[in-house]
Amino acid sequence: MKEDWGKEAGNIIANWARKHSLWVLAYGTGCGAIELPPTMTSKYDAERFGLRGAATPRQADVLLISGYLAVKTLKRVIRTYEQMQAPKYVIGFGSCTINGGMYWDSYNTVKRLDDYLPVDVFINGCMPRPESVIDGIIGLQKLITEDKAYGWIKYQKNLDWYRANQKKVIKNWKMPDYNW
Amino acid sequence: MSDELKQEQEITQIIHKTFKSAAVEIKRAGRLAVKLRSDLLPPFISYLKDYMQFKHLVMISGVDWIEENAFELVYHLYSYERKIHVMVKVRLDRNNPQMQTLLPFWDHAGTYEREIHEMLGIHFEGNPDLGEFILEDWDDIPPMRRDFKTVEYVNDLYEWREGREDRQDVRKTIAEQYDETIPDFDKEEK
Repeated sequence: MKEDWGKEAGNIIANWARKHSLWVLAYGTGCGAIELPPTMTSKYDAERFGLRGAATPRQADVLLISGYLAVKTLKRVIRTYEQMQAPKYVIGFGSCTINGGMYWDSYNTVKRLDDYLPVDVFINGCMPRPESVIDGIIGLQKLITEDKAYGWIKYQKNLDWYRANQKKVIKNWKMPDYNW
Repeated sequence: MSDELKQEQEITQIIHKTFKSAAVEIKRAGRLAVKLRSDLLPPFISYLKDYMQFKHLVMISGVDWIEENAFELVYHLYSYERKIHVMVKVRLDRNNPQMQTLLPFWDHAGTYEREIHEMLGIHFEGNPDLGEFILEDWDDIPPMRRDFKTVEYVNDLYEWREGREDRQDVRKTIAEQYDETIPDFDKEEK
């Protein structure tokens, strides 16, 4: 990936277009996925913000880490995140991504999502209500307008640090090299 | 009391007659607990399943009695005709826990045995699928044993964010953020 992408993305029209059509990868990693159907359907309609589900990582903009992240899932999520195409955003859903949440003393879940993936927005709650979810999406849209949501560039620049953290937790590392 | 528990007492007598070393206890109506020697388990389960109509294996649970240096396996069986739930309790030595498999009787016993093998380390002789089941690349002792130090393991491997050490009250931070005051709950009770 070239550096000009970052400069081009500063274009206001590009940001306006991006924030009004965020496609979320349909991947429920944890228990937070139960709050997505109410958010997307007619009562707390999230489709009016341009949100819709995407089937594959290549077609998605936003990766929603809904809830706790077991080490087994983390390996697959890293591979999914690296297959998504820039510009891409990560939303951390629920209190398990912030500081461990309910599973703070579990030997198999990850406590700080920030160490393993670049997160743009955290949504607090266990589970967050649909209104909180929409609040988080509006927060992400605000960050995109202000030109501050550059998680994928942060990931590229600090790839060694992220890799070191990921390899500390995932013992059997058999993954392709990141070349996006 | 005794005529309500007629069926349970009948079962108790039959078990005591055929398996002399089994100790049956009636917990309440519809619940029986049997303490058994570990090598007698397959004939006992086969007897209950084929002759006493206890056809449903509900679950196999494992208990870690670290003070008594033993593992305990509890086999929960249920009979649809009699509507009675039997718990068969078996004790194993903690240093070398081995047990015979119940795969020949029920296919789904394999799932419970695989989970107990992974979480407690009990080997089931005769089960061909014992191996990695839920955890991936796990190289420590089986994690549901009581001598596995969970909090130390977690503190070694994962990082915390600030704010958890001093158990900060989240209401205070939120109240400051929105310029509100937290009501004094103790005062209102009086």
